[in-house]
Amino acid sequence: MFGTVYTGFGYWDVTSWILFFGIAAGLTLWLRAQGRDDYKEGTDQDEIYWSGNVVPEDGEDISVPASSAYWGFRKALEPYYNRLIGMHTGIATDIVGFYVLVVAFMAVFILIA
Amino acid sequence: MIGNAPFFVVGILFLAALVAIFMEKNLIKIAIAISIISSAVNLFLVALGYRTGATIPIHYLAGEGTVMVLPTPQAMTLTAIVIALATTALLLSIIMLVYRHYGTLNVDEIRRLRG
Amino acid sequence: MNWNEHLPALLLAVPLFGAFIAPVVCLFGKTTRNILMTGITFITLIIALLLWKNVLAGGPAIYVMGGESFNIALPSGMALPIRIILEADAFSAFMVLCGAIAAFAGALFSTNYMEKFSGMGRFTSLYFLLTVGMLGMMVTGDLFNFFIFIEIASIASFGLIAFWRDKPEAIEASLKYALVSQVGSMVFLIAAGCLYGKYNALNMAAVGSLLQFGTMEKLVLVFFVGSLAMKCGAFPMHMWLPDAYAEAPSGVTCLLVAVSQASLYGLMRVCFSLYGINLGGSFIPWMIIAMGLASMFFGVSMAVVQHEIKRLIGYHSVSQVGYMLLGLGVGLLVLKDARSMAEYGFTAMKGGIFHIFNYTMYKALLFLAAGAIYYATGKRDLNQLGGLARRMPFTTFMFVIAAAAISGLPPFNGFVSKLLIYESVFAVHPALTVVALVTSVLTLASFVKVFQTAFLGPEKNALVSTREVPAGMLLGMGVLTVAVLGASLFPAWTLSNLVEPAAKALVDQAGYIGAVMGGGL
Repeated sequence: MFGTVYTGFGYWDVTSWILFFGIAAGLTLWLRAQGRDDYKEGTDQDEIYWSGNVVPEDGEDISVPASSAYWGFRKALEPYYNRLIGMHTGIATDIVGFYVLVVAFMAVFILIA
Repeated sequence: MIGNAPFFVVGILFLAALVAIFMEKNLIKIAIAISIISSAVNLFLVALGYRTGATIPIHYLAGEGTVMVLPTPQAMTLTAIVIALATTALLLSIIMLVYRHYGTLNVDEIRRLRG
Repeated sequence: MNWNEHLPALLLAVPLFGAFIAPVVCLFGKTTRNILMTGITFITLIIALLLWKNVLAGGPAIYVMGGESFNIALPSGMALPIRIILEADAFSAFMVLCGAIAAFAGALFSTNYMEKFSGMGRFTSLYFLLTVGMLGMMVTGDLFNFFIFIEIASIASFGLIAFWRDKPEAIEASLKYALVSQVGSMVFLIAAGCLYGKYNALNMAAVGSLLQFGTMEKLVLVFFVGSLAMKCGAFPMHMWLPDAYAEAPSGVTCLLVAVSQASLYGLMRVCFSLYGINLGGSFIPWMIIAMGLASMFFGVSMAVVQHEIKRLIGYHSVSQVGYMLLGLGVGLLVLKDARSMAEYGFTAMKGGIFHIFNYTMYKALLFLAAGAIYYATGKRDLNQLGGLARRMPFTTFMFVIAAAAISGLPPFNGFVSKLLIYESVFAVHPALTVVALVTSVLTLASFVKVFQTAFLGPEKNALVSTREVPAGMLLGMGVLTVAVLGASLFPAWTLSNLVEPAAKALVDQAGYIGAVMGGGL
């Protein structure tokens, strides 16, 4: 049941993975439990560190919006993304145009090859 | 060659309507073009079943003819016509709702979902 | 009456019956409607399981609609198949099982999700019609019947995608899908008509046994592959997919995922069982592999930059379909070469087919979790969400499992099927594996972004009043989580009992044809 999966080139064993994961998890939790638990809740000792500034009340002001995630990735691949997003115009008949182009391309090449 | 005329008509209709779909800007014209494509395909199916000099494919009414037209494509065509009817009706009601929301029937302006 | 022989027809009859009595039953109130929806889909799931057991034990299940015998002996001694025949072999039974589980989970989810909607009688009816269309696509053995079921599923999906009639985006998404779907279906019908005109048979097995690869068959194959790949969401024709999946109500999206898989089933049926050894050269397999690679890479790079949660998951759908096209395309490439088939081709096919199962399960779960977020907070934009893990622990847990599965993290099932695909595709050309691995990394990147912005992070004041979603929605997600975890913890059992018979049945064109034509090509 909990068997190994033999691909032609190697194998994957669920039981061994879970065993190793359990050992590593146990080690991590033991390390985490070595911390101090004599802090006072709700005072300054419990607050996050925000570069020494006053932490705002609303979480809205601290969080990084999702549109700025992977900003560097997007900026580095700017030419590629401009062309790719330019292709997704959102016009309904463009999809039909692409479909006809693909079928025409395949038809021409299958008759040649 | 003259016997192949229906198939030439099918080809011309299909290609004309296909070009119309991505050249036209008005949604109603695009819906009409889709309807023409359905008609072309139905014509193709009916024309497939014809045999030269044959009579209708009903046994008791055939008369003296011994060769009958194939009935299967006729059944296929009837089904395809009904399906095209349902789809055209739904497509037209969707276009009507699009007009109510967007105020325009121009395909280039109905693109709030893009990117 | 022997129920076992009527199973393929019951599979279609039960949801169809549900579709027709739904408007009447829904007059009696909300509870009756919920019982109808969950009951009928549960019975369909039971029938799917029984059909699968039947097919594994006894070979392909043939069912003749409305008649006693399925072939008629001509005076020359040949047996000609007549009447509409449903043929369910192991691959069909496998796909039916995936589809039935997705339909059940979507129905459970929709009992609570669609509370504020009116016109629920029509929703239930359309939902069952979509289920019938999907299941019919998977069990039929007849080309024209396949077209009919494609159209039933398409018409039902046009209505369901546009169900949120007050939102203009939903109507626009439905319009785009309707346009391209109609053109694709008409091209499919022309191709089926061409095959009928030449071979005078509509039955897939009959055409498969008579087929000779000439110019007309080349064009017919191109039309089939183009139309069915468009309906799965392969690369240049995928633009309708994120729009349609994002704007449909989430229970419906769960089922639409399975409907796209039915089109993939059709593509494989045409390539493997209709053409098979007559495929003629390696242009079409390489074309399928190329579409797979393009879908994978461009799908995931579009997904990384989205900021609306369901649209992002929809682009991932495009990319995952690329994996399946890649695995099955490699299998198709080496179909005639017995040595390569045994070495890596069969493993690639097993990987592709296992990926179909895994993908249906975890993608449906992702869409349901996104729907749960929308139900609880009323927002779909990731820029406005945050800190939901404190308020919605169950949804978070199930979302983590689905996100880890789609990214290919061990020990989940996504990892197993992707491993099979990577290792076997490497033998064709290393560049294919490189693209697949990069796609996997980018998938993980985008799901880390989604998980962090939606669930982790500080508590926003606007979202303080969100609570966990109701029990019906949690149950729907739970069904899929159980399936994902089951395939993750018992991969060897799943592979040998579920996937391997399906892969063997797909490769075995002679068996498929022989079940109907009676012994040999």
